[in-house]
Amino acid sequence: MDSKPEPNVSRRQFLRDGARAAALTGLGGLLGVVAGRATAKGAVWQIDPQKCVRCGNCATNCVLEQSAVKCVHSFAICGYCQLCTGYFDPEPNDLNTGAENCLCPTSAIKRTFVEDPYYEYTIDEQLCIGCAKCVEGCNRFGNGSLFLQVRHDRCVNCNECAISKVCAGDAFRRVPADQPYLLKTTIHGT
Amino acid sequence: MRNQNRPITRRHFIQKSARSAGVLAAGSAAVVASTRRAGAGSAGKEANPFAYDVERLRQTDPKLIHYEQVGRFPTSQPEPHRIAIGPENQVYVAAGNYVSVLDRQGARVNEIALAGSARCVAVAGDGTIYAGLKDHLEVFDRKGQRTAVWESPGKRTWFTGLSVGENDVFAADAGNRVVLRYDKSGKLAGRIAEKNKDRNVPGLIVPSPYLDVELGRDGLVRVNNPGRHRVEGYTAGGDLEFFWGKPSGAIQGFCGCCNPVGLALLPDGRCVTCEKGLPRVKVYSGDGTFECVVAGPESFTENWHKCSPADCTMGGLDAAVDSQQRIYILDLVTGEVRVMAKKKETAATPATKPSA
Repeated sequence: MDSKPEPNVSRRQFLRDGARAAALTGLGGLLGVVAGRATAKGAVWQIDPQKCVRCGNCATNCVLEQSAVKCVHSFAICGYCQLCTGYFDPEPNDLNTGAENCLCPTSAIKRTFVEDPYYEYTIDEQLCIGCAKCVEGCNRFGNGSLFLQVRHDRCVNCNECAISKVCAGDAFRRVPADQPYLLKTTIHGT
Repeated sequence: MRNQNRPITRRHFIQKSARSAGVLAAGSAAVVASTRRAGAGSAGKEANPFAYDVERLRQTDPKLIHYEQVGRFPTSQPEPHRIAIGPENQVYVAAGNYVSVLDRQGARVNEIALAGSARCVAVAGDGTIYAGLKDHLEVFDRKGQRTAVWESPGKRTWFTGLSVGENDVFAADAGNRVVLRYDKSGKLAGRIAEKNKDRNVPGLIVPSPYLDVELGRDGLVRVNNPGRHRVEGYTAGGDLEFFWGKPSGAIQGFCGCCNPVGLALLPDGRCVTCEKGLPRVKVYSGDGTFECVVAGPESFTENWHKCSPADCTMGGLDAAVDSQQRIYILDLVTGEVRVMAKKKETAATPATKPSA
């Protein structure tokens, strides 16, 4: 029985097949990109508090005149300390609200007496510039109840967040817009 | 010589163009890469204008350090909590599930096994050993034989400090924010430092389990009140006699959420204090005037990093004083004991006031 000889692939045939394959690959890639963008449509920027290294870049790199990053307070973690190391300078003259004793460069933290010897600390977001000085103080010597957050009442959700590009702790990430905040928890789950 | 006017072929032209394009592309890629690298590098290196700078607190002014290290040895069990000195200057360490008895050089003399984690220890003049577990006290003779197990005072009890006198045993219960006074038979004889408006006792603030107690030769009981950053003195009957201490990161004060975490007394009533967060050991006069530093944060690098928001129950130091007034510092992180003696040149100098 005669076997049919395999037809030789002509140059033209080869080029045509190659072009087809390239076109299909390109189309597949395009569809992938479109699908990816469709998924990311409902995503916003947020800071992972466990990764934040309090580098100060949030205050100076946001495209907004006053950064969209603010300090927030987890009251469940706070120790309500009399000597709050997020509120007071490391070497305060006295534990009172005098500016010379305070850490915050814009006086954005309010100190309110609760009962001896406990005080409550709240953040005035209009004044907070997201510098993380208080966050570092609280994390260094306290319970770490102060942390930074991208506030979505003012964040313009840039495609390429200017802070995320310089974030020293690689703490910026995209999160679903319907769950835009990452809350701080302790090892005990509080 | 090459003929410059020779007509160029199509193949030659395409070849040359491809080469030039390749070189240009490679050059551009290199420029872009180096620019990005430089940008990223400078972003990371820029000084933080809002830096929380406590580096200066990590270094102690050498003039303030009046002690020098004359010995150093490891404890024989992991997870040490408290140190005490007994008769013949033997060192007792509550660590792991044991009370370790060591000689002055750190050699193991005896080891007393407990049913649970040893939290604190005190030794009477006759050699009787009192060991605090989390919720109850146990008594051992000088050979390490258990002679008594005292009843737990309550569910929330968390013993973290012990001191023993001629007739009394004082146990610091961090869980209930009180110092319990027992007689030698284990009968509860009184409660000290508990919040009591009528007796003008403000109460103890204990954010983390570091409550300590020391009985002085004057009969007064010293208790650290870490949340208020001070040391308080009580009579055995529970009357508040004095308190001193200032909340501050500065060398004269006590910093962080809760300090001091450990106490020891020199024979003349001066007080040795131990801190965590900024791990340092200092000496104060009987009335609370800062005198000198025994060892500063630069001596306890690992301890400095251990106490963090992830777990503020970690880290810290404890101290005990032997009959020659040498201070034994127990590092709760490294498990080492450092023996500190007064420097000869400072032995006779009066108390030094640090610059403000």
